[in-house]
Amino acid sequence: MRRLVPETPLQAAIWVLVLVCVLAPVLPLVYASVQSKPIYAAGRVFTLAAYQQLFADPAFRTAAVNTLEFAAMTTACSVVLGASFAVLCSRTDVLGRRAYSVLLIAPIVLPPLGVILGWNSLYGPGGYAHDFITQTLHLPFNLASVPGMAVLGTAVAVPVVFLVCRATLSGIDSALENSARSVGASPLRVLGRVTVPMLRPALLNSGLLVFTLSIESLGIPLVLGSPQGHDLISSYLYNTWSSAFTPDPPVVSAGATLLLACACALLLLRSRLLGDQARFVSIGGRAAAAGQVQLGTFLRFILGGVLGLYLVATTIAPIAALALSSVVSELTPLIAPWHLLTLANWRTIGQGQFAHTIQNTVEIALVGGIATAMVAALATAIAHRSGFRMRRSLPFLLLFPRAIPGIIIGIGFFWTFLLVNPPGSSLRNSIWGIALALSIRSLTLAYFVMSAAFATVGEPLDNAARSAGANWWTTMTRVIFPILRPALFASFILLFISILNDYDPALFLVTPGHEIMGVTMLDAAQQGTNGPVAALAMVQVAITIVAIAACARLFASRISGHQHA
Amino acid sequence: MPDITVRSVSKTFGHERALNDISFSVRDKEFLTLLGPSGCGKTTTLMSIAGFQRPDQGMISCGDRTFFDRAGKVYLAAEDRNLGMVFQSYAIWPHLTVFGNVAFPLRIRRMKKGAIRRRVLETLELVEMAGYAERYPHELSGGQQQRVALARALVYAPAVLLLDEPFSNLDAKLRERARTWLKHLQTELGLTTLFVTHDQDEALSLSDRIVVMDSGSVLQVGTPEDIYHRPATRFVAEFLGGCNILAARAVTVATSGATELVLHANGKPITLSGVCLAAGEELQLAVRPEAVELTSHESAMGDNIFQAEVRSISFLGDHYLYELDIDGLALTVTDARSHAGPVVTVRIPPSACRVLPS
Repeated sequence: MRRLVPETPLQAAIWVLVLVCVLAPVLPLVYASVQSKPIYAAGRVFTLAAYQQLFADPAFRTAAVNTLEFAAMTTACSVVLGASFAVLCSRTDVLGRRAYSVLLIAPIVLPPLGVILGWNSLYGPGGYAHDFITQTLHLPFNLASVPGMAVLGTAVAVPVVFLVCRATLSGIDSALENSARSVGASPLRVLGRVTVPMLRPALLNSGLLVFTLSIESLGIPLVLGSPQGHDLISSYLYNTWSSAFTPDPPVVSAGATLLLACACALLLLRSRLLGDQARFVSIGGRAAAAGQVQLGTFLRFILGGVLGLYLVATTIAPIAALALSSVVSELTPLIAPWHLLTLANWRTIGQGQFAHTIQNTVEIALVGGIATAMVAALATAIAHRSGFRMRRSLPFLLLFPRAIPGIIIGIGFFWTFLLVNPPGSSLRNSIWGIALALSIRSLTLAYFVMSAAFATVGEPLDNAARSAGANWWTTMTRVIFPILRPALFASFILLFISILNDYDPALFLVTPGHEIMGVTMLDAAQQGTNGPVAALAMVQVAITIVAIAACARLFASRISGHQHA
Repeated sequence: MPDITVRSVSKTFGHERALNDISFSVRDKEFLTLLGPSGCGKTTTLMSIAGFQRPDQGMISCGDRTFFDRAGKVYLAAEDRNLGMVFQSYAIWPHLTVFGNVAFPLRIRRMKKGAIRRRVLETLELVEMAGYAERYPHELSGGQQQRVALARALVYAPAVLLLDEPFSNLDAKLRERARTWLKHLQTELGLTTLFVTHDQDEALSLSDRIVVMDSGSVLQVGTPEDIYHRPATRFVAEFLGGCNILAARAVTVATSGATELVLHANGKPITLSGVCLAAGEELQLAVRPEAVELTSHESAMGDNIFQAEVRSISFLGDHYLYELDIDGLALTVTDARSHAGPVVTVRIPPSACRVLPS
């Protein structure tokens, strides 16, 4: 057919780019796992020895059991807490519900490493809260144990569950609940018999998501459990990798491949289940004022207080502890902090290697954020608004990085950079290899934002441009992207924050002189230099808050400017 | 302006046949309407002409340019068809001013700045929106947005104007005004126009010719009078205005052309004229409610006079709507006068009965 899609070369180029980037970390990894030696070594043969060796290692089996325990506890606790909080905030008149709706989500954007370090300085051995819990309350609590790590895992996962459940709750047509009221059910009964059952798909969805995120989480075991011998699979792999006699052993690739298979299977299961369930979730979709359960003065205050305490204990206090330890020489319950006040930590990170690492990170986040936002926007446009032949494969490709655990992206790119040279070695010996890995890890995030944004722009808007004589490229760049400017900016900010605070893949890709903040912080924390690490974490927190504030401001002005639209 | 030819176009979505061998043409300077209920394929037809849907079969051309030809493997991209289109939602770009919206097609065509300005203002003048050039779409009312959409579709003097239910988002009063105004503009500029609607009033008042569609097929093509008075099928009769459908059987065929029939519902005789039927033939009669004559007196004389019981009367402003019952035959009738009383006399003029193919 003549001129079916005149823009095919450009669209094909973007498609190939996404395909290559998404598969690059995976294929060499799987290949490396079935070789007898690292793939740069001579005399390799195909073998499954790496897998046999892995299963024969008792340490791996312990780590696997620990991982399952950790993931199961984290999932159960976070689903119960997150769903309860969501019901409280969107269906009852609990005190401060509006503020909590925002505050409970906030931890999602906080630097994960900063949160872990804050928890460690507060609840870890020798922390203020640790002494209070074990000595005053006489509770046996060890943050470094598997259940202890699961407590932190829960705190990290609750916002995810909360977000999914709240979205579902606001999507439930209030007529469903009102009709139960009209036939005589009390508000509490409606909550129990109508609202909560409608949440079941959301619970399943967020539960599977949290479970997947838990089995691949690296920071928590690396900082907390591993030093005391409680490894999860991810930290086991990292330790094996970094302390192996022969470098880059195939056994790590084998473990990573297994982890990848698990994560993929879980996410596949999730989309399978949701494919069936999604139909009955999105009825009506009108966020009209839903009936509220009147809790009564007493319960209102009590439950409001519980929510407040939860926030203080899980988010505010750890961040405050982090902030405090950045301005004292040592944070300890034994000496009052004002005797130890110092600016030395901040002075330390203002120079030398620390300053360099900050600069590297911000550069990576800026360039990676802009590039990824552009690629994601174009790829989404091709996937949802073009006649390109392979467009239907793009959503899968863009969602795939979500299924790849961070350490696998790290190990995978390590092999890819070795195999594909050039540009492998120049990427490996600069910050741009890390930038590429972190960007691809965040690609899915940008796709979520952009596909939601595209859904709000009616197709007649681009058809109007086409019938006025504009081709695909002109339609996108002159009409659709300008309309989507706020979404493009939001996607950039999210990518910037995500890349800024990410570090899992970088642990395997870092070369001397090309460190990023997360890696530097982990190294320094393992050496016990807590002050500068806390200061670095506060820098991450500060940059994150500034970026979000910029984004929020832009949206506020947009909304007030278009309120007549 | 050239004419549009649609020949044997078919389109399938999955297992559903959206268009079934559609053929019609829009003549030069003609106002042609595609009329039908939602899901009848009229929008798919329009989108196929505009280039946003790709038919499976057939041929579409505009003047001497072929837009789509399955056999000759031709498919012209939407942007190369040079058609003006007004969308149901207007699709005014929210990030551009009225001027920016209307200027966009000219900028795509790389016209000079001064020429663009002149042409845009001219066109805005034409749609009576010259004073709103610097406004943003959200500052306009629905009727004004519609005019901007029209200006944007006309500004580059396209070959043909395509309108996709452009009035459906306007309130009743405004819709009537917009209709008159559009017809005036269309006649004055001599625009070849293809219009899609499910509103029979719009179709009847605006069109030179109407294409009635249902379930992906063309049922009838003709002038509004043709289609209203001589519907080809029961569907056409019922879709355009109210219509009574009476099942009957031909009994005797008189040489004078007057045919005697029996109504199935109540076994009463009814006489037709000017039709050619075989005795014993089963058929359906279409009778418009306003064609039936009502009187309160029982003294009426002539053919097809019945006594009817009044089931209900509704007052509709300029007329009354009667639900009548003639010994088991339900009949809807409109009349300007009010007839009190439980029984009225009804006359169905033989000329008002249209025989439908069974």
